[in-house]
Amino acid sequence: MKLTGRRIVGGRAAGEALASPVPLSFVGGVDPATGEVLDEATGCRGHRLGGRIFAFPHGRGSTVGSYVVYGLAKRGVGPAAILNTRAETIVAVGAILAGIPTVDGIDVGGILTGDRLVVDADAAEVDLPDLVAKPVVSAFLRSRGKILLVRRSEQVSTFAGRWSVISGYLEGDEDPRERARLEIREETGIRGARFRSEGAPLLVRDRGAAFLVHPLLFDVPRTAVRLDWENVEARWVRPDEIEGFDTVPRLQEAMRSVIFTPPPGRK
Amino acid sequence: MHLAPTQERWLAAANRTQRKAMEILQAIGDIEGAEDLVAITSAHVSGASYKMIGDPGLEFLEDFAREGRVAVPTTVNPLGTDMAQWRDLGVPAEFAEKQARIAAAYERMGVRPVYSCVPYELGVRPALGEHVAWAESNAVCFANSVLGARTNREGGPSALAAAIVGATPRYGLHLDEGRQPTIVFDVRTRVRGIGLSLLGLFAGEAAGDGLPFFRGFRASEPGLKWLGAALASSGSVGMFHLAGVTPESRRARTRGLPIVRVSREDLDAVRRKYTNGEEADLIGLGSPQLSAEELREIAALVARTPPRIPVWVFASRLAREACPEAVAEIERHGGRVLADTCLEVTLLEHRFSTVATPSGKGAYYLPSLCKQKVIFDDVEALLERYA
Repeated sequence: MKLTGRRIVGGRAAGEALASPVPLSFVGGVDPATGEVLDEATGCRGHRLGGRIFAFPHGRGSTVGSYVVYGLAKRGVGPAAILNTRAETIVAVGAILAGIPTVDGIDVGGILTGDRLVVDADAAEVDLPDLVAKPVVSAFLRSRGKILLVRRSEQVSTFAGRWSVISGYLEGDEDPRERARLEIREETGIRGARFRSEGAPLLVRDRGAAFLVHPLLFDVPRTAVRLDWENVEARWVRPDEIEGFDTVPRLQEAMRSVIFTPPPGRK
Repeated sequence: MHLAPTQERWLAAANRTQRKAMEILQAIGDIEGAEDLVAITSAHVSGASYKMIGDPGLEFLEDFAREGRVAVPTTVNPLGTDMAQWRDLGVPAEFAEKQARIAAAYERMGVRPVYSCVPYELGVRPALGEHVAWAESNAVCFANSVLGARTNREGGPSALAAAIVGATPRYGLHLDEGRQPTIVFDVRTRVRGIGLSLLGLFAGEAAGDGLPFFRGFRASEPGLKWLGAALASSGSVGMFHLAGVTPESRRARTRGLPIVRVSREDLDAVRRKYTNGEEADLIGLGSPQLSAEELREIAALVARTPPRIPVWVFASRLAREACPEAVAEIERHGGRVLADTCLEVTLLEHRFSTVATPSGKGAYYLPSLCKQKVIFDDVEALLERYA
């Protein structure tokens, strides 16, 4: 499958992914002589960047990090390419100085260490040739500021027993909004859902399978829900309560892409 | 991002380093949503202390200096030691040698060889509305707030790229809209001396990456220097307004903003919070570097209350050379006046473990950058305590 982002530094590279779910400081986080990752929180500690396609959300820390990236490339122990969710100055400047192909706007949360990747930074494209992702809609239903969560039944083939929102497979080149309306009617019995917003697609991985989730937000006129066989329980919750539920992967990220919620600790 | 025809022509004739510099500015502009580049009249680059940038920085600067030349008047931050006194300070020879190479690389690029965090006290005084590209957070805060010049909080590499191109992406604090306050601080207590550093640390924590509007007190330029330095340490703050004092305070819109009331108790709590040491083995004055006038004041205080522990005073070389009597007075009492370096980018950890300082910026950074414990108090109180 192909992901499209924004070119930061042009060029092409192919290789194995090294993926961190958390932002990284190149100062202190990577050994400048060997390219070995030192930061425990990345889950990549002990791996070397050399020849790998390094995927992480964004850089952080001291601007000296730009010089570290430059030095790694000069010594031939730098990454073959960099993928970011959102590039910031430190990594972008380092990648430019080093000439490392770099693309941002990539959903790095869906890339796993070991994935085979082909990066064409000039076209701002990242190919995962071994991966076929099934397209899915995830419809967040909102009523009076609350969101509908449903618990998936034991009879569904994926994520049985976990909390989710109303979802369904997209078929062919079906319009996600149309599919979502259909699923809302089937799974909740609610009619008259009004489309509000659509978030950026998220790549969700589950063992061998992959799903490209299209998050959508609908306002609904009533809260009475009539479940079908796919779900066994329904609850209306505040957006900040979702983290207390055992949900399908990346549900909060999907929600944040359609509903603005202030980050924790800020007013 | 859009390039003006003159910038396009410049790029067509540019060398490899100039093209890299332009590429950096374009990428930052795209990331930050800038529409174009704005010409700058000066640049101030950070990242000159070997202690801070290490071998990766040294290597990059030497490579970049092969053909990189600054296009506008450019100043640079303090070094990791005073190159005239490093032997006396116990600085390892390898450190001094690499530090000298960093300075030489900057000088090859045409950077003014005055290693200072207070360019605004060395005659670099951009006028109201003038665009510049400065790194060094205290200098950024001073330029925007006190002078009314316009700069974002640049990093070392981005300021160097701007110096080479002579322009910077137009976003953030370069735009009128980016200079409006986001939070009001109603100061209900007298602030002077260390009070400005205390207020700065307090407000920086509360403002985060916002833009503070202060009211309720007045301060002179040296006072605003210490306020801004502390503010830009505990917060990602690049500018503040002070009602009736700073040049753009009248244009600031404060209606509807959150208001924080600041009391004496709040400031006392800040002093306690940043004090974690018990017995100091050094009094460190500077961060930012002292002006010539501040040096003379310190000399008078030291003469009146001679301390029994060393006093290290940090100043630019120009300030040090401007007042030899003050320097002699401080040295007579066992102190040192160190030039071209500053309190938390210099090597302290090889000799000391607890530093007493009245600097809010020093109190903020000494634990992490120099592995020091801190005693944070007025300079008068510190001199009396260690008399």
